[in-house]
Amino acid sequence: MQYGMIIDLERCVGCHACTIACKAEWEVPVANGRNWVNRLGPTMTPEGLASTYYPGLCNHCDAPLCVEACPADQVEMTFTDAKSGKTKTLTVAATWKDPFDGTVQIDKERCLGCGACADACPYGARYVNPDLADDNSMGKADKCTYCKPRVEAGLDPACVQTCIAGARIFGDLDDPNSAVSKYVKKGARGIEPHGGHLGPNSRYYGNKRDISLLFSTSTPELADLGMTRRRAMLATLVKPSINKARDIGLLGLAGAMLVKKMSEEK
Amino acid sequence: MAFNLTRRKFLQTASLAAAAVPLSKVVSADTGVTKAPLDAKGTFGDQTVVGGICEMCFWRCQLVGKVRDGRLMKLEGNPKSIDNGTAICARGNAGVKLLYDPDRLKYPLKNVGKRGAPKWKRVTWQEALDECGNGLNQVTKKYGAKGIAVFPHGASAKYPMHYFERTVGTHNVSEASFFQCRGIRDTAYVATIGKAPGEKVDMANTKVLFFLGTHIGENIHVSHVKQYVQGLQNGAKLVVADPRFSASAAKADIWVQIKPGTDTAYVLAIMNYLVQNNKYDADFVEDHTAGFDEFSEAIKEWTLEKAAATCEIPAAQIKEVAELLAANAPNVAIHPGRHVSWYGNDFQRERALGCLTALLGAFYVKGGWVPPKGPKVSGISWKKHDHGNEHNLNYNHEEDEKRYPFNPPGTPTELIRDCAISGKPYPIKGCVVWGQNPMQTIPGQEKMKKVFQQMDFVMCVDVMPTDVTLWADILLPEASYLERYDYIKTGTQWNLADEHQQFIAPRMPLVAPMFERKDQVYITNELAKRMGHAAEIPVGSLEEMTEKSLASVDLSIAKIKAEDGIHIQPGKDPYGLPEDFEVQLYNEDLADAGFPGAPTYIPVPEVPKGYARLLYGRAPVHTFNRSQNNVWLHNAMPINPIWINDHAAAKMGLMDGDTVSVVNSEGIASGTTTTVKVTPGIRKDCVYMYHGYGSASPFMTVGKNAGVDDQKLISILAIDPETGCSGMRNNFVKLVKNGKVLDIPA
Amino acid sequence: MTNPDTSKDIASVYRFLAQCMEYPDRSWMSKDFFQALDHLLEQLGGQDEKEAIHTALDNPGDFADFIEDLQVEYTRLFINGIPHLVAPPYGSVYMDKSLQGKFAGDTLAFYREKGFAMGEKADLPDHLIHELEFLSLLASESDHDGEALFLKKFFRPWFGEFHRRVTLETHHPYFRVISQLIDFFTKEDDNNGFQPNPA
Repeated sequence: MQYGMIIDLERCVGCHACTIACKAEWEVPVANGRNWVNRLGPTMTPEGLASTYYPGLCNHCDAPLCVEACPADQVEMTFTDAKSGKTKTLTVAATWKDPFDGTVQIDKERCLGCGACADACPYGARYVNPDLADDNSMGKADKCTYCKPRVEAGLDPACVQTCIAGARIFGDLDDPNSAVSKYVKKGARGIEPHGGHLGPNSRYYGNKRDISLLFSTSTPELADLGMTRRRAMLATLVKPSINKARDIGLLGLAGAMLVKKMSEEK
Repeated sequence: MAFNLTRRKFLQTASLAAAAVPLSKVVSADTGVTKAPLDAKGTFGDQTVVGGICEMCFWRCQLVGKVRDGRLMKLEGNPKSIDNGTAICARGNAGVKLLYDPDRLKYPLKNVGKRGAPKWKRVTWQEALDECGNGLNQVTKKYGAKGIAVFPHGASAKYPMHYFERTVGTHNVSEASFFQCRGIRDTAYVATIGKAPGEKVDMANTKVLFFLGTHIGENIHVSHVKQYVQGLQNGAKLVVADPRFSASAAKADIWVQIKPGTDTAYVLAIMNYLVQNNKYDADFVEDHTAGFDEFSEAIKEWTLEKAAATCEIPAAQIKEVAELLAANAPNVAIHPGRHVSWYGNDFQRERALGCLTALLGAFYVKGGWVPPKGPKVSGISWKKHDHGNEHNLNYNHEEDEKRYPFNPPGTPTELIRDCAISGKPYPIKGCVVWGQNPMQTIPGQEKMKKVFQQMDFVMCVDVMPTDVTLWADILLPEASYLERYDYIKTGTQWNLADEHQQFIAPRMPLVAPMFERKDQVYITNELAKRMGHAAEIPVGSLEEMTEKSLASVDLSIAKIKAEDGIHIQPGKDPYGLPEDFEVQLYNEDLADAGFPGAPTYIPVPEVPKGYARLLYGRAPVHTFNRSQNNVWLHNAMPINPIWINDHAAAKMGLMDGDTVSVVNSEGIASGTTTTVKVTPGIRKDCVYMYHGYGSASPFMTVGKNAGVDDQKLISILAIDPETGCSGMRNNFVKLVKNGKVLDIPA
Repeated sequence: MTNPDTSKDIASVYRFLAQCMEYPDRSWMSKDFFQALDHLLEQLGGQDEKEAIHTALDNPGDFADFIEDLQVEYTRLFINGIPHLVAPPYGSVYMDKSLQGKFAGDTLAFYREKGFAMGEKADLPDHLIHELEFLSLLASESDHDGEALFLKKFFRPWFGEFHRRVTLETHHPYFRVISQLIDFFTKEDDNNGFQPNPA
C-alpha cells in the first residue's frame, strides 16, 4: 500500500482552503505550514498563456532524503498493517517511511530538532515547529502526515475534506482501482527535483499549459546534502544532554506532581 | 530606575495582605494526563457542535465547530449540508481567527477624545446605551427621525435597520451591498425580467458559461464554485471577457481581452449578430418578451466591426462567441455578475445580459438562468409604518417622482452624504453605523469624514475596529456570527440536476460570546427602550426570534439540533418557465423616465495619457476589507501586488517584485506600498489589484498598512444614472518608484 | 532555602500585582491601595517610581480626574488602543498571534494539572492577571518547582515582550512601574541570589 494524493489543477481554483484547514486541524504556527498554495502566472508558456497554482505538501517519497538525513539514535520499531494485522520491525531514526502505508512520519519525542531533514527536503515540505522548542532544541520537525491519525479514524485528510472544488483526491496508489491510480493512468505525475529520483507520491494533473507552468516554475533543486550532514553531525554531538533533558519534559513534571497531590487527597 | 534589592532578599522582608482570589480552586475531573504529547492530537476527536452558519462572506455555508475546553479549534462544513457539504473556503476555515482576533472589540467604549482621533475608555453597557439613547433622542427631538442616517451591512444589521427605518422612521438608510455592489444588477434585472437574478445560473448543467468580469476562483462562494467546476468537468465551454487573465480566464476556452468599460458594446454586438442572422430563439422571443422590434432596431448599429473597434478585440472572436452561444442555446449560462458597479454605465450592461439570456431562451432551462425552489421561512422584525415621502431624499417633489427611479431599497449614499454636508434640504445630525465600514466600502473618504465631522452623535456597532469606528462617539462590541443565533439559511441541493431537496439551517452559536459582546437584538431593543419604543419591540432575544421563525415551518431549535443543525425536506423541480414570465427587451417605463428603453452602450472616459485605469477585484482569501486583520488569511496572501502589463513595465524600467506606491489622477497617493506583478496577463491600459488591503485603522495589528488600499485611490465616482449607484472603475493611476512618478506608456 | 514565610510573602506580592493590572476603578484604587503600592516601592528603593506615579496622579491630563486618565490609558494599552493595540495582556497573542491559541490551551492544561480551573467570571486562562493569580496560588502552597516551571514555560516566554511594549509605549508612569514590578518579581535571580542592578 502506498498512500498518495492527486491535485487536479483542472478543478483547483486556488482558494487556499486546504492550507487553512490544515493549520486549524494540526495547530500549525501562523508563520509555518504543512502545505501551501503558490499562485503561478499569468506567464507565457510554450503551450500558451497560463495561470495556475502549486498546492504543495509532503510527497511521502519512495526514497525520502529526509529520512536518510535524520541523525537521531536508531531504535527498533514495530509497524502494524491496519488491514491484515501483519507486523514488521525496522530499525529507524526519528523519521521513517512506514512499510505498510508508505507515509513518511516523525517521532517528535525522539526528534532532536536539528532541522537536517528540513534542509534535505528539496520541496521545503518540512519545518521545525518553534512551538515545540525545549531546553535543547529550537523545536521539533513537523510536516504533512497525510493526516494519518484522521485517515486511521476513517476520515479524509483535512485538506481533502475542505477542498471546495474536489481537486484533492487521496487514496492508495498501489490499488489499481483507486481514484488516485486512475489519475496516474491519465497522466498525473509528481514533481521530481532536477537530477533526483525520489518518487514523489503527491501528484499533479492538469491541462498542458498549467502543467507546463507548474513544472517550469516549481521543480526544485536537490539540497546540498553536505550541509545537511554537517548539521546532523553537530546535532549528534550534543545528543547526550538532550537525552538527559528529555526526562524532565515540560508537562511530565507537572503531571507527576499532580499524581502525588491526588494520592495525598485520598 | 533602580530597585535596590534583589527579589530574594526582598521576599525575606516584605509582607502584604493577600486579597481574594477569583480563580476558584477545584480538582479537575479529567486530570489523567501525565505528559502532553508533542504531536498535536488533531481536532477530529474534539466535540462537534452543530448549527454554525458562516458569515466570513454572505454566501452562508453551513458549519460545524470542533470545540475543545470551550475553545473553538476548527470550523468545518456540516457533513449534512446539501449545499457546501464538508467543504468550506479559506475564509470560512479562518473564522476561528476572527473569533479570537485580539484586536476585536471587547467592551463598550466611549470616545473621550475627538471624532477621527479618538481616546477610548471602557464603560459599562448601561452607560454606553444611555449615551446612545440620549444622543439619538437629542437628534430626533431637534431634527426629527430624518436627522438620523444609518449605514448597515450584514445579517446582524437587518433588525436595527428595520428599527430605524420602520419604527423611528428615517429614509436615510444606505446599504453598501446595494449601492456599491449588487444593487444595479438587481434593479436592472427587475426592469428586464421582473426579479433580481442573484447568481442563479445553472452552471453545473450548462454547455456554455459566459462571464463578464466574473472571476470565480478569486471570487469564492463554495456551492457556486462547485457548480462552476462541475460544469467545466462536464465539458462546458467557458467564455471570459476580462481585461485581465483572471482565475476564470485561466480556465477559459475563449478569453476576450476586452477594453475596460466597453462590455455593453460587446454584448450588444453579440445580440445584434444573433438577431441579424436569425440565430436567436424566435419562439421564446415571441412568447415571452416585449419590445423586440424597438430593441432590435436600437441595437442594429452594433455590427461586429463596430464592436471590435470599440472593445479592441477581433471581430472574428465576437462572432465565434455568438455562434458558440447560439449553437448551445438554450443551455447556456449568462452570468449576471455580482459586484457590478463599475463604470457608471452598468445598469445598461446588466440589462443587456438579461436580454442576451432571453434571445438565447436561457431562462428556466437546464444550464440557463434557473432560480432554485427553496423553502420559505417567515422572519420576525419591526412592524412596518408608512412614513411618507416628504423627507425621502430620493424623491423629487416638484416632479412627484423618484430621482433615481430604479434605485435599490434605501436611499442612495451620495444623496445622504450631500444632504448631511450641505444641511439641505434638512440637517442629518445623528449616525448609526452597523457592521458597515463606509470609510472603506464607500468611495470618497474625505467626503465621508466631513459627514461624520458635522454630526451631533455617531454610534458604531461592529466586531472589529474598522476604519469607520474611529469616528464613533460610542463604539459597541457585537457578538460574531459564531457566538449568536441569527439568520436562517435556506436553499436547495447545490446541483439542480440532483434529487430535489430543500434545507433549513438556522444560525446557532458554536461558542458563547467572550468579554462583553452583545447581539443586535439586545442592543436594538435597549436603544428602543430608551427612545420610547419599548411597546413595539417585536421579540425579546435572538434565540426567541429564531424559535418563532422556525415555528412558521413547524420546526424548533430543539428539532434542528436533533437533526444535526440542518432540516432537509423534499424539494421541487426548478426547471420550467412560468407562464407569465416576460422579458422587457425594450422597457417602456425606462423610456418614459428618460432613459434608453433598449440596452445602450454609454462610452466611458478614456484613460488620460501617462495613466492606466485602476481595476480591482476579489482576493480568494479576503471578503472586501472585513478580513484584513485575520492572521491566517493575512499570512496566506500578505499583500496585493499590482498587476501591470509586461511590455509597459519594460518601458518603465519596472521589474517583477519592485516596490511601488500608487498615485491617482487627482493627486491622491496610496500612502502605503506594494509590489508589482509584471505579466502578459493584463492589458496595457489598466492595472489591477486585489481589493481589501492597506487598512489605515491604527487599531488593527495585522492588516494595517499591508498592501495598498484601492478604495483610497478611487476618488472619482461614476454615478449610474438609473440607480444612483457609484461606479468605481473610472479612476486613473500612475506608479511611484523610489519617489519618482512613472508614466505608464500607452 | 526558601522558607514557608517567604512563600506567603511572594503569594501576596503576586496577588497584589494581579490586582494592579485590573481595569482602574475607584472601587479598589483607594487610598489604601496606593499606600500599599507606595510601601512596596519604598521597600524596593523605588523612590523615583513612587514620585513619578504621584506626580502623574496629581496632574491628570485631558480628563476629568486621574481615574479617567488611567482608564483611557488602560483601554489603549490593553483593550483597543491607538496607534495600535499596544500590549494585549494575553500570552497567546505573543506566542500564537491570536487569542485562544495553542498557548492558551497549554496554559489551561497546566492549571488543571495543578488542580485548578477557571472561575466563572474569569477572563481567558493566559491573561496576565490570572497567570499572576495562579503563581500566587502555587506560592501559597509552597509549590516552588511548579512556580519555577510555570514562570519559565508560561510566563516569561511572553511577558518580556509585553513588558517591552508597555515600557516603550505607555504615557502613564503607573503602568510602566507596575510592569516593571511584575518583571522584577518574575525574573529569576542569578545563582548568588544577587540581581545585578540594571541602572
